[in-house]
Amino acid sequence: MPVLDVGLPSHVSVHKSGGRDRWSEPLPSPPSDAAAAVWDCLREVLDPEIPVSLVDLGLIYAVEFDEGLARIDLTFTATACPCMEFIREDVTDRLEQESWVRGVELREVWDPPWTTDRITDQGRALLRTLGVGVA
Amino acid sequence: MSAAELTPADLDDQGRADLRRLILTLADTKRMLGIRYSDWLLGAPSIEAGIAASGMAQDEWGHARLLYALLKDLGEDPMPVEHDRAPEAYASCDALDAEAGDWADVVAFMAVVDAALTVLLEGFAEGAYGPAGARAGKMIAEEGFHRDMAAAWTRRLAAGSAEARARVAAACAAVLPRTLAWMAADDAAATRLADAGILPSADALLGRFAELHGPVLAAAGVDLPTPDRSDWDAERGRGPGHPGLEAVERARGDLNRELFVE
Repeated sequence: MPVLDVGLPSHVSVHKSGGRDRWSEPLPSPPSDAAAAVWDCLREVLDPEIPVSLVDLGLIYAVEFDEGLARIDLTFTATACPCMEFIREDVTDRLEQESWVRGVELREVWDPPWTTDRITDQGRALLRTLGVGVA
Repeated sequence: MSAAELTPADLDDQGRADLRRLILTLADTKRMLGIRYSDWLLGAPSIEAGIAASGMAQDEWGHARLLYALLKDLGEDPMPVEHDRAPEAYASCDALDAEAGDWADVVAFMAVVDAALTVLLEGFAEGAYGPAGARAGKMIAEEGFHRDMAAAWTRRLAAGSAEARARVAAACAAVLPRTLAWMAADDAAATRLADAGILPSADALLGRFAELHGPVLAAAGVDLPTPDRSDWDAERGRGPGHPGLEAVERARGDLNRELFVE
């Protein structure tokens, strides 16, 4: 039986995004287009509060990949989003599963401000299936 | 947003000190305003109003976090600033030193203090300091809801009973003179910031406040007074006094310091 660690960092960790069961297995070898592969990884990271990917919510602004370092520009739906830490950890954890990713740098950006206009068509369709309408 | 022009590297020591004071006046006021809103989550006249106060408190604390983070660009770690300062060091708007006594006071915080805070923030965002413009857009968008809430409640109380009208008018009149002085500082630091294009002038800020918020306050029978700049504290950019220790302990997170996870 696993030992339950009730320390605070672990407590935070076990409450991260519920989408981990949807994460793919790591790639067996480095991809030819690493930036595209990073985007694919991020499509599997779900918002902790609603099962739609960060990419479909329009929260990922840019991806760069250089010599093993993935640089991600991301924003949040609100300045006081209560899930900021969970999202950061999930993005980092998903990418660090990959052997070809040696580091992850997250840059929090607020310009341009996020609005629902950034949600993709696929994200809107998913939200509708969840009973959430987006104008 | 205007085109970004100035970065920290463009500022001399005096300019960086002036900018630091401005950042703290904004961030500390956001932090204290969040405290004051949070006091009314379960004490508002309706459940819906309390929930709105909760949302506004959350917004203000999110904004404070982003504003304190601007200190990083000046080479300062925001953590001690957020979590270690004494009440006497807070640069928050004077009107928030005391807690709201009733919902009319909360409405005055919305219609006067929050309104002034957003006028100042917009002026900062539209000015020449690039990092401010890059962060403030989302904050200002979120503040649109606060403005709507303030206008709705001010007009509602003003159109209510004689008691309601008198109480909201008195609450707004009580906080206006010091809040306008805080928003539209006209001391040497504020003048330097205006000269550098980082902030509008004091007169421009007052004009903007009157244009945006004067009509709502007038509907409550409140005229805009002359700012009360007596006993001005140029070091902090506010009037005398400070918030109480209990509120600052909450702002600093003293009770949960050992559990801090950010």
